[in-house]
Amino acid sequence: MSHYESPIRETLILGDKSYLDVSNDIAAPIEGKANRLWWIVFTIALVAFLWGLGAIIYTIGTGIGVWGLNNKINWAWDITNFVWWVGIGHAGTLISAVLLLFRQKWRMGINRSAEAMTIFAVVQAGLFPIIHMGRVWNAPWVLPIPNQFGSLWTNFNSPLLWDVFAISTYLSVSLVFWWTGLLPDFAMIRDRATKPFQKKIYGLLSFGWSGRAKDWQRFEEVSLVLAGLATPLVLSVHTIVSFDFATSVIPGWHSTVYPPYFVAGAVFSGFAMVQTLLIVMRKVSNLEAYITRDHIENMNKVILVTGGIVATAYLSEFFVGWYSGSSYEDFTYLSIGAATGPYWWAFWALILCNSVFPQLLWIKKLRRSFIFSFFMSIIINIGMWFERFDIIVINLSRGHLPSTWTQFSPTFVDISIYLGTIGFFFVLFLLYARTFPVVAQAEVKSILKSSGSQYKKEVAKQEDREYRAQGSN
Amino acid sequence: MASNKKYWTSAAELKNSSIVEKLSKTEFVTEIPTEDFLGDKEALETSSTSRRDFLKYVGFTTAAVSLAACEGPVIKTIPYLNKPNDIIPGVADYYATAIADGFDFANVLVKVREGRPIKINPNKEATSNNGTNARVQASVLSLYDNNRLKGALNNKKAINYTDFDKEVVSVLDQVNTNGKKIVFLTGTMASPSIDKLLVEFKAKYPTTEHVIYDAVSESGAVDAFETVYGTRALPNYDFSKADVIVSVGADFLGDWQGGGYEKGYAANRVPKHGKMSKHIQFETNMSLTGANADKRFALKPSEQKFALLNLYNAITGQGLTSKTTPQDAAIKDAATQLKAANGKAVVVTGIQDKNAQLIAMAINDALQSQAVDLVNTKNIRQGNDAKVAQLITDMNAGTVGAIIINQANPVYTLANSKEFVAGLKKVKLTLAFATTPTETTKEVQLVNATPHYLESWGDVSITKGTYSLMQPTINKLFDTRQFQEALLSWTGNTTSYYNYLKNTWNVEILKGQSWNNALHNGTFNTVSEESTRTPNTVDLTAVASALAKTKNNALELAVYTKVGLGDGQQANNPWLQELPDPITRTSWDNYLLISRADAESWDENLKNWTVDNGALNGDLVDVTVDGITIKNVPVYIQPGQAKGTVALALGYGRTEGVQKEMMTGVNAYPLVNKVGANVTITKVAGEHEFACVQLQHTMMGRDEIVNETSLADFIHKPKQAWNPSPKFSLDHQEVDVAETDLWEKFDDTIGTHFNLSIDLATCTGCAACVIACHTENNVPVVGKKEIRVSRDMHWLRIDRYYTSEMTKERGEEEGIVGSGKYFEAQTHPEDHPEVSFQPVMCQHCSHAPCETVCPVAATSHGRQGQNQMAYNRCVGTRYCANNCPYRVRRFNWFQYAQNSEFNFNMNNDLGRMVLNPDVVVRSRGVMEKCSMCIQMTQATILQAKKEGRPVKTGEFETACTNACSTGAMRFGDVNNHDEKVAKLQEDDRTFKLLEFVGTQPNVLYQLKVRNS
Repeated sequence: MSHYESPIRETLILGDKSYLDVSNDIAAPIEGKANRLWWIVFTIALVAFLWGLGAIIYTIGTGIGVWGLNNKINWAWDITNFVWWVGIGHAGTLISAVLLLFRQKWRMGINRSAEAMTIFAVVQAGLFPIIHMGRVWNAPWVLPIPNQFGSLWTNFNSPLLWDVFAISTYLSVSLVFWWTGLLPDFAMIRDRATKPFQKKIYGLLSFGWSGRAKDWQRFEEVSLVLAGLATPLVLSVHTIVSFDFATSVIPGWHSTVYPPYFVAGAVFSGFAMVQTLLIVMRKVSNLEAYITRDHIENMNKVILVTGGIVATAYLSEFFVGWYSGSSYEDFTYLSIGAATGPYWWAFWALILCNSVFPQLLWIKKLRRSFIFSFFMSIIINIGMWFERFDIIVINLSRGHLPSTWTQFSPTFVDISIYLGTIGFFFVLFLLYARTFPVVAQAEVKSILKSSGSQYKKEVAKQEDREYRAQGSN
Repeated sequence: MASNKKYWTSAAELKNSSIVEKLSKTEFVTEIPTEDFLGDKEALETSSTSRRDFLKYVGFTTAAVSLAACEGPVIKTIPYLNKPNDIIPGVADYYATAIADGFDFANVLVKVREGRPIKINPNKEATSNNGTNARVQASVLSLYDNNRLKGALNNKKAINYTDFDKEVVSVLDQVNTNGKKIVFLTGTMASPSIDKLLVEFKAKYPTTEHVIYDAVSESGAVDAFETVYGTRALPNYDFSKADVIVSVGADFLGDWQGGGYEKGYAANRVPKHGKMSKHIQFETNMSLTGANADKRFALKPSEQKFALLNLYNAITGQGLTSKTTPQDAAIKDAATQLKAANGKAVVVTGIQDKNAQLIAMAINDALQSQAVDLVNTKNIRQGNDAKVAQLITDMNAGTVGAIIINQANPVYTLANSKEFVAGLKKVKLTLAFATTPTETTKEVQLVNATPHYLESWGDVSITKGTYSLMQPTINKLFDTRQFQEALLSWTGNTTSYYNYLKNTWNVEILKGQSWNNALHNGTFNTVSEESTRTPNTVDLTAVASALAKTKNNALELAVYTKVGLGDGQQANNPWLQELPDPITRTSWDNYLLISRADAESWDENLKNWTVDNGALNGDLVDVTVDGITIKNVPVYIQPGQAKGTVALALGYGRTEGVQKEMMTGVNAYPLVNKVGANVTITKVAGEHEFACVQLQHTMMGRDEIVNETSLADFIHKPKQAWNPSPKFSLDHQEVDVAETDLWEKFDDTIGTHFNLSIDLATCTGCAACVIACHTENNVPVVGKKEIRVSRDMHWLRIDRYYTSEMTKERGEEEGIVGSGKYFEAQTHPEDHPEVSFQPVMCQHCSHAPCETVCPVAATSHGRQGQNQMAYNRCVGTRYCANNCPYRVRRFNWFQYAQNSEFNFNMNNDLGRMVLNPDVVVRSRGVMEKCSMCIQMTQATILQAKKEGRPVKTGEFETACTNACSTGAMRFGDVNNHDEKVAKLQEDDRTFKLLEFVGTQPNVLYQLKVRNS
């Protein structure tokens, strides 16, 4: 990559950073000590995680009956949380793989953390299909491994089995891709490390990266190949998750629009989660120079587009159900029956959070505001959780036979497990923020000098003025 | 501020501080000789046990102990040393016997496995009462009731029967000499041998009197029959001979006059040659019978009496005194149809009033009804309310010296129970026979523990000329003794009851016919000598004027019995407690039924509502009738309830001999005589939590779910008009659903292919099949809390739908179709709806949605057409249950067996004896559902194989089809074209549930034809 500095290209990294500055900035959280804020958040997350773990152990020890499910609504928070976490895990691959292929260099500031988020979210997601099993100790039976039961094999017709493959593939490819990117950065930390133990550990983690030209050449090639492999996964994972519903016969689930709509929804929620995390992280870890207002705006644009796709899907679902004239479609999650029925609040939470509020992002000022973007990302996260809750619970609560209609209400165990996974996610993420290079510094260095330095300085001045004027947002 | 107060911790410290001081210095009260032991260095050194050895020993013993503890418990299976001749392990024996508990009478066939009775089947070869209702089906579990009396009691202390009898006989002799009365207070036993024993007893003790008492009395009808024909009995009815049936408050498909009429009724409910019976019901609360009627009219209890009089007047043209009712037009119409039926008509009434029963008899007489059998009368309700009332007066007057109670629980069931208990205190000898502790056994001195009917010998004559034998199917489980054995002992007769019974039968009934044959068949019929009865003349004018004086009250009371608990004898039976009532679909409770209009017009608007998890809650009220108040009765708003009435079910609120979980509902017996009396209800604080399994009562415009048609349409229109099959667009052409198929079909015409067929025209919703399924398949009881949150485990449920006023036509008229208002209105049943029942179990779809989604293939298709469930393969993802359009799959949310959280029959050794050894008890975390009783069909195939023959037509059965009294449920191999079910496949009335989904179910339904 050349270091040709375009006189007109907008800068991607603020401040007049040198290569050393970048190294110092990235290594700072790892080499320094954690501040109070980190400890407070970590403690809360750890407590939530342990509490959730207790709830999981209680469930496994006593029975799924400790959840609020019943014989008509056999899934609720468990699968809602599963789909929600999988969706969140979508942005990482999209950012690192798809944007890499499209040569979107702005991704370099955020891809490491986005991918980390992906992996940690997929870990949470993977938890739910396992613990929702009535006999979790027999969970390995869902894997097609040779066994002593003779010809007993898994059922390849089952979308749940496809899930097993989709999720595990996604997790492993994401992990490999992430780790490959981490190699030169780990090596950088290793080279800077002063304590022998630390040096040893980072030496191991960096797989003996030597920084030779051959290393770099292979690194580039592997990244490209992995990006090529990962790109279809962006589409496949949530497509397959949507098959859990789309291939069924239940009104509201049995819908051909699900795959594209689920993928768009996943990207939508994934970017929202990236926003939530990075807006906080750029402050806490002093990464303002690397995660800039432009990044936030770019991501908001993606959110607007995918949110638009999702809203269109909602409309089409609503219309097609209504237009069919079938009484079985009167109470699906997007119907008048749902809007006026006992779950009206969940219906409207979905519509408002996912389709109405995000329209504010059309306003440039709001789109470029950190605080507004942060709140919007939280709203979208809530909205997307409700989308899955509505799809599962509202549809199951209004099945074919009215005699089977009932409702669902979560128990404290349902809530504990959900909060537990959020805790677990943050435990992992916070540990990551303290031990991993949170920005792909090797890549970032490649774009450090690609914009006009004159322009860069001007921008820096303006940023500085804005910064002073706005205070600390 | 400093304090100089001194605190002490004990009196000793205050008084004698030296002891305390001494104690505080030494840790142990007595000196421990550590010094002696360790101080002797020499001895220690010479010891051969080194510290190392010590550690070795400790290590070895710890390891040994933990190894020993690791060994799992060994549950031994011990083979027979001498195998009993008639027991082959794994092969069931069947014994014909009869149940006669005073409320339910039926000829049954008991399935016995390895010496344990595990299932009650109807004895279909018997000619009368050969159907089993839910309670009879469930009675096998009452045999294994953990709360049963395990021996005789004297003043609540155990006593042996020798001392017991000494005590009884000495007091009886004394009473006899004093000339005081010895009274037998029993339920209806209808037993020839007991009658004979009582005669012999009376010979020894001449002051003996026998008072028969039915908790749920039919005294009015029996008295009326006695007045007209001079015998205490009930006329028998054959509803199959009636083209027009009018019932005024008679729940004849339920427990009216002992029940057993559903078979005859059903025979004429399927149109044959364009004809079927017409059933018109006038009643107060929605009964099973009313729900099945072609026309149902709601009337208050008082108005029912006028309705009968008006009906009589309309039929005979006479002008007996009466009053008008709101349904007089319908009554006139009914009268016209009754008359037109030309003797093929019958009027029955359930009003507990002799006068009303006399009018009903007069109507049938006027109609020359062919459906009434006055000769071969029924014996199963003989109670005499007047005599019972007299007895209580006598007891309190002190003229009764001894009271012996059998098959009755008067302290619980009597309206004036307090007076009875007060009277008991004045009786020298109070003795009760009982299987379980009851409210009565608590109040008497002596209690004789009686065996369950499955452990007893006995006989019963259900109708005149039919006799049934009762034989033990298991050795007595406890130290129990039959009523008959006690009578023999007290009269000084040393023969065993078995010999006595045999003798009585040989001499009086069999008259030379084989005893063994009778015992094998379970029943024996004699031919009646009489062919007619001559009636006495009755002054109907007087009867009518007495009847017409009935006061019409603002809010009238009705009491009724439910299919589940009946009179309350089996209140400790969890199967019956958990059985959802066919009408309200609510289990584990009784409640005050009230109409919507009344509930809303009440000062404080009584409500039912659903909470967050969908469960049903209701307001609580205090019910006061004539100064008697029943507190905290939950209110259930019942469509079809007559305005200005409330109804409460009997049989609940038991407190003795019933475990805590089963102490449900309120006792309505204090009000049993107050039918028609004015009721005051006051709303009280709090709310009641119902365990209701169906929370949406209407079909929401999905009328094809329970397809129905009128008789006129059925006759005059083509099938496509009233039973259209769903169409699909295939290559832009409308084709039948059967022609569209995503998959390649495998050839199911080879071998057996099972189909289950359910005729909705003859299904009365009686729920016997639900209990039969529960028993056969070891379905767990989950308790009120779990039922409440829609976790019922019944493999077979009976959906009940009401019609709604908001039809599509009406919605279009009002222009609200598709709006929230429209949907909301659709959810409300009409005030007087038509009712549909639909038994739903696994539909065994040929294209089962559950099968494709299971990741581990735990549910897959059987070669015989069933959808099968491999429990031990199931990992419990519950995806199958979600993808089942019929919602018939049941998940084991908890460990239901051997778990003290679910303290029902599967949690005690005795209760587990009822489990069917052919069916596995499911563990926590697996899915279960109807298997089409594969254990039964396989046994049938094996039997045929062993005998080297093909399976006979009609030989295949499932628990539900076996229990179905009306024959609404049929099961069989459709590849055998002689099978009824194979023919039903082609029937015009046949449809499949949600056929348009494309699941191709192997369960068929025949639609109901309403003769309206």
